[in-house]
Amino acid sequence: MLPFIAQRHQPIIRAIVNLWKLVMQTLDEVAVEAPVARSWLRLLLLPLVILAGMGLSVEAGLLGPLGVQVGHLWATLSIFGVGSAILFLLLLFAGPQKGPALNTLPRWQLIGGFLGPIYVVVLTLATPHIGIAMTMIAILSGQVGKSVLIDHFGWFGAVRKKVNAERWLALGLIVAALVLIARG
Amino acid sequence: MMSLIILLAVVVAAGAVLSVQAAINGRLGETVGVLRSSLLTFAVGAVVTGLLILFFEPAHSVGLLDVPKWQLSGALFGVVYMIVMVGAVPRVGTAVATVAVIVGQLGMGMLIDNFGWLGNPAIELSGSRILAMVCLALALVFMYRSSVRSVD
Repeated sequence: MLPFIAQRHQPIIRAIVNLWKLVMQTLDEVAVEAPVARSWLRLLLLPLVILAGMGLSVEAGLLGPLGVQVGHLWATLSIFGVGSAILFLLLLFAGPQKGPALNTLPRWQLIGGFLGPIYVVVLTLATPHIGIAMTMIAILSGQVGKSVLIDHFGWFGAVRKKVNAERWLALGLIVAALVLIARG
Repeated sequence: MMSLIILLAVVVAAGAVLSVQAAINGRLGETVGVLRSSLLTFAVGAVVTGLLILFFEPAHSVGLLDVPKWQLSGALFGVVYMIVMVGAVPRVGTAVATVAVIVGQLGMGMLIDNFGWLGNPAIELSGSRILAMVCLALALVFMYRSSVRSVD
């Protein structure tokens, strides 16, 4: 394969190359609806997804103390700066991408980038005071509550739907969880 | 107490903002691919944060280059999360993946809080904190059931 690499290292290199191809294939497949996987694959994937979720809490856990030391905005910049650099490299080596060029898209689709920093700054602000688990619960409350209220009132041009009893119950439980956190 | 309620309200609002962002990015990701939409989000985020720092951040005696390097690794977890979700969601389904993420998130969050890992203040797992978790778990069950029914 590569003549200048010692023979015994070649299997490792090949394994890395194959792993890379697999990651890239996975990224390519997103747009295509893959059939729901066989059960053993699901069993392998679930712990991985749980680990990824744990990673989100580790990220929040790193942010809080960092924000206290260097300032909340600097901590936020570390996330977006490092993330941009990694994604840029991934994109560079992933080869040409399908789909339209970014500058041909409607402008409003690009505002996601303005909302991200709000979330990260709030994370660094909140975790030192209420802890990571409770911050995550409050974030989830916002996500769930938003979807229920948008459906009920038809905000942002959404179709006004009747919100059923189960979803109101869910919203009530979330408010209860927030009250419990506030009481400490 | 008052400031805690304001803080909670801000965090809840941030959760709502996050889901708006997820909706916009989901749409964007479908058309241009996850890598490009994520890079766009992160790059715009970095530029906006940079501008805010220039004009609003007070000077600190400790900078990003002074802290131990492991404290800067947060973004890695975010990117790994993104790649895992991209690979797993089509295979295990959105609902299962969402629940698995929340389980991991809250479980790890409780561990970090309880033991004060990564330099966080240790917060003991109290009765009301456990009860809050139970409320959230039940809320998710109801949300899930109602979304399943609306599909039927």
